[in-house]
Amino acid sequence: MNALTLADVSLKLGTFTLGEISLVLPAHEILVVVGPNGAGKSVLLETIAGFHRSARGRILIGDRDVTGLPPERRRVGFLVQNFGLFPHLNIAQNIAVAAEANRSADEGPDVSALLARFGIAHLADASPLVLSPGEKQRAALARAEASHPDLFLLDEPFAALDVQARDDLRLELSRFLRETRAPALFVTHDRADVAALGDRVAIMCDGKILQCGAASEVFRRPVSRAVAGILGIENILAGDIEGAEQHRVRVIVAGHALEAEAGDRAQAGTGVHVAIRAEAIRLAPRDRVPVIAAENRLAANVVTLQCLGALTKVTLECGFRLVACLMTRDADELRLAPGAPVVALIPATDVHVLVL
Amino acid sequence: MTAVWRPWRGEGSVGSPMVFFAAWLCGGLLLAFILLPLIQLFAAQTAGTMLQVAGQADVRAALALSVTASLLTALIAGAFGVPLAYLLARVNFPGKNAVAAIVDVPLTVPHTVAGIALLMVFGRRGILGEPFENFLGLRFWGTIAGIVVAMLFVSVPYTVNAARIAFEAVDPRIEMVARTLGMGPLRALFRVTVPLAWRGIATGLTLTFARSISEFGAVVILVYYPMTAPVQIYEMFLRYGLEKASAAAALLLLVSLVLFILFRYLAYGRRPIAGSGR
Repeated sequence: MNALTLADVSLKLGTFTLGEISLVLPAHEILVVVGPNGAGKSVLLETIAGFHRSARGRILIGDRDVTGLPPERRRVGFLVQNFGLFPHLNIAQNIAVAAEANRSADEGPDVSALLARFGIAHLADASPLVLSPGEKQRAALARAEASHPDLFLLDEPFAALDVQARDDLRLELSRFLRETRAPALFVTHDRADVAALGDRVAIMCDGKILQCGAASEVFRRPVSRAVAGILGIENILAGDIEGAEQHRVRVIVAGHALEAEAGDRAQAGTGVHVAIRAEAIRLAPRDRVPVIAAENRLAANVVTLQCLGALTKVTLECGFRLVACLMTRDADELRLAPGAPVVALIPATDVHVLVL
Repeated sequence: MTAVWRPWRGEGSVGSPMVFFAAWLCGGLLLAFILLPLIQLFAAQTAGTMLQVAGQADVRAALALSVTASLLTALIAGAFGVPLAYLLARVNFPGKNAVAAIVDVPLTVPHTVAGIALLMVFGRRGILGEPFENFLGLRFWGTIAGIVVAMLFVSVPYTVNAARIAFEAVDPRIEMVARTLGMGPLRALFRVTVPLAWRGIATGLTLTFARSISEFGAVVILVYYPMTAPVQIYEMFLRYGLEKASAAAALLLLVSLVLFILFRYLAYGRRPIAGSGR
């Protein structure tokens, strides 16, 4: 049974249209929805949570059809930016109001047990305003647990945090979701969240889902130029397909031939784009090219170097511009400097043809 | 070396001594302008006249009537104004700007004009006054109901506007979170939204109360008798002169100030948790 099923959900909100979204989240999995600002990611979450009546389609959480249910009966845990704790209540009261709202015939959830489980018993009387981001996240999770959610919806909860706090909280959140095996939909525009959290990733733009699949698969094989752009793939080059063999095609980019992995619809003579991730490019000195399987060997010159700490971003000129990303240590060993001649090595499997 | 006092420097400061002193000169004059007449009003009183005036039954009745009518006005303003404020803060509807403008209209209407307009509606032969008396037995002339009507007209914008700003400051997403936690719309409203907006609502109610207790123009036209304190003071000024009138005036000022400070304390002083948690 799937944790969440969206079948042709569409909705109009002012000038914004959420277009026929069909999506399946398998049980116990985390789906990260990535897209630029204004893509409709928050609207999608709010629709699942029940704040916008969808014009068409059905929404199922587990096997419950929640299409017509108000938010309070959908049983979703909703975490928003800054976690949305109620500032006029202390932490214990924050959890207690949620527990109270869910008290049915059976015994309601125990506030002190929840506080203890999330390691925030000492903060029971504290105001949310004095909590660290990590404590806020734990309090928000404890409060959400009080309402027995079947699904977590997370709307960029880390967006306002600095990088260090974001890394810590992401790790803790991921541990919580995996330990409780809670299914979750995590919306973000930060690509780092995808790698750290997602089993699956959906790429969203202009109210539509462009691609959805296993995170590694989507990163390796984006279906379109738009997806490659949203994923932040550094090299997206226009070219023409020259020859197609069994699993290979040759793409001519600015007069240079690149061996690429064959796409299904790749045909000779069609104009396409190829996507090459910066980390897929290896650099070697011209005189000592290593013996590795890399079908594409391009003579290149370094244009600029940008050190980002452990990684260095190298812009290359080889008839067209290429951006490579390598370990700063390796860049130092290669004695890279602007103007330095190198060879760029790219396996054909890392040159992905985008037909769309 | 001793530290030199330079309040125009440092964090959150104006940076220049000239701006600092010029601003304080203007501000100080303004403060003196506000405080001087009020201080003079108290300073001119002798204990004897104050006590004598305070002992007068008509003065005490007028004060009690003013306080009661103002409290009722604040309650009614809250009951009708706060829901409107919530609508204005949360819902977009056609004509919203017009509604907001209508709410502000009483602020620009001269109070005697308001009194006359209200008389034409709530007076003996007014379009509401007559049916209200015939069918409900509720009269707006010569009663506290009329006083409240006059006070409400001139003072309700303060409640609506303050509550609207307070509701707008509550993050709609925090209401959404409350709903997903299992709270129905009403429970979310009363457990989360209203408590978070409470300070602004209370400020609005306090301003409405303060404006009501000080209202003269609209009240005096709609309801001369029974007299509220401002009307009583006006009458005493005409009949007995400045000395008696100023004693009653000082008394009204004292009562208003004490209640104003009390309400502010109730709204601000109690809750230690501040901010809207953005």
